[in-house]
Amino acid sequence: MGRLDDRVIIVTGGAAGIGRAFAGGFVREGAKVVLADINGEQAERSAAELRAEGGEAMALTVDVSDQAQTEMMASETIAGFGKVDGLVNNAAIAIRVKHTRAPLEEIPLDEFDRMLAVNLKGVFLCCRAVLPAMKERGYGKIVNISSGTFFNGRENLVHYVASKGGVIAFTRVLARETGDAGVRVNSIAPGLTASETEEHDIEEFAARVPNRAIKRIEMPEDLVGAGIFFMSAESDFISGQTLVVDGGVAVH
Amino acid sequence: MGKLDERVIIVTGGAQGIGRAFAMRFAAEGARVVIADVNGPASEKTAAEIGEAGGEALVAVTDVSDADSADAMARAAIEKWGRIDGLVNNAAYFQRPQVTVGPVEEITPEEWDSVMAVNVRGPFLCCRAVLPYMKERGYGKIVNISSGTFFSGRSTTQYVASKGAVIGMTRTLARETGDFGITVNSIAPGSTASDPERDQSRYEGRVPDRAIKRVERPEDLAGAGVFLMSSDSDFMTGQTMIVDGGAALN
Repeated sequence: MGRLDDRVIIVTGGAAGIGRAFAGGFVREGAKVVLADINGEQAERSAAELRAEGGEAMALTVDVSDQAQTEMMASETIAGFGKVDGLVNNAAIAIRVKHTRAPLEEIPLDEFDRMLAVNLKGVFLCCRAVLPAMKERGYGKIVNISSGTFFNGRENLVHYVASKGGVIAFTRVLARETGDAGVRVNSIAPGLTASETEEHDIEEFAARVPNRAIKRIEMPEDLVGAGIFFMSAESDFISGQTLVVDGGVAVH
Repeated sequence: MGKLDERVIIVTGGAQGIGRAFAMRFAAEGARVVIADVNGPASEKTAAEIGEAGGEALVAVTDVSDADSADAMARAAIEKWGRIDGLVNNAAYFQRPQVTVGPVEEITPEEWDSVMAVNVRGPFLCCRAVLPYMKERGYGKIVNISSGTFFSGRSTTQYVASKGAVIGMTRTLARETGDFGITVNSIAPGSTASDPERDQSRYEGRVPDRAIKRVERPEDLAGAGVFLMSSDSDFMTGQTMIVDGGAALN
């Protein structure tokens, strides 16, 4: 008996990294998961792995910044699994996607726009797509992935950090708007997490360790417990909150 | 199989209200629970209920504001079960007659001191008592109960100041103890209907502020308690989780 038995949960950016770790944890707790990722092939491979472990998983190719694709994501989920209980807005231009790390004047405008389109408008569009189904059933759990960088103001990432601050603001407003409909909206802010990546090397992950109360590199699995908690009935009286899971760098 | 199998967890103020809800749920998740409360008879009643439900509980009558009493609490847990995995600092003065609600000029210095002695010195002394055992084993989970009033400022100065201090203590202690495998976090509940003998309409007054518009019950906090006592939260420390139906937003 798992804590997420029969719950249907969409994880955007679920093909790899933190999203993949969430999906694995959710399946172990009995959930049916939808891996919605711009990399459809990788999403299908990950879904196949989860099915091989005895779980129920479906892959969808989704660009979260495209309204029609997010609506397809919601309708395909309902067509496949009959309902939507949970949504983890994890897809983002982040560690696994190449992006400029430079002072504000050197951030290309089109990159700023794309960052906001994926990291913030993507959250808006995915919530917009699933909320009618959640409201109809009077229950839903949404988790938006923010970032510890919002709390420490990481330099040379103004486009990224602004998008992640927007995610927290969005979380707070949507929590108030949807409480009456039984929908809870919360946020998790991870520290720099060692997802597989070509952009960052091990020295960069290691450089964050001395700032932590718990002095080791953060791994995707470190976030799974918080994800399960927010997707489960255990957190049904919590809404609008941001949980920092970073080994104790930012204290919030 | 529970989320807290084998873990030994001390809940101060565990006889009644929110502390009792924590103790009951922890036991249901497989933990062995120490009810550390100043009220002996109420503690025995809660421990008996846990026993009837098939759980394990020990009563340690404790005044958290007294160093010897806090030390005895830790020793009782060690003598019975040989280890301490978790501590929930829940004991507090929070309502009349211990806490007068009024403007600062009407709060006596004596009441200020007594509220601080229980609400701030209490968690300090209880942490001090259990930390040597946790450090020795290289693992521990501490949860300090703060209050949503720290975020809203809607209560009386001596109480809110004490609950702000709890968050400060949480943050510093988290940094001090991370190297020993100990996590320290805080839960901030909203106004919770923990006392069936009080006028229930006072709890209803807070409902309109919430995203989830109903009265908060002690059981609403149990899930967060289990999460923070379990290995699911092992990379989370120094944080404060508001569990109030979405009144304050943190």
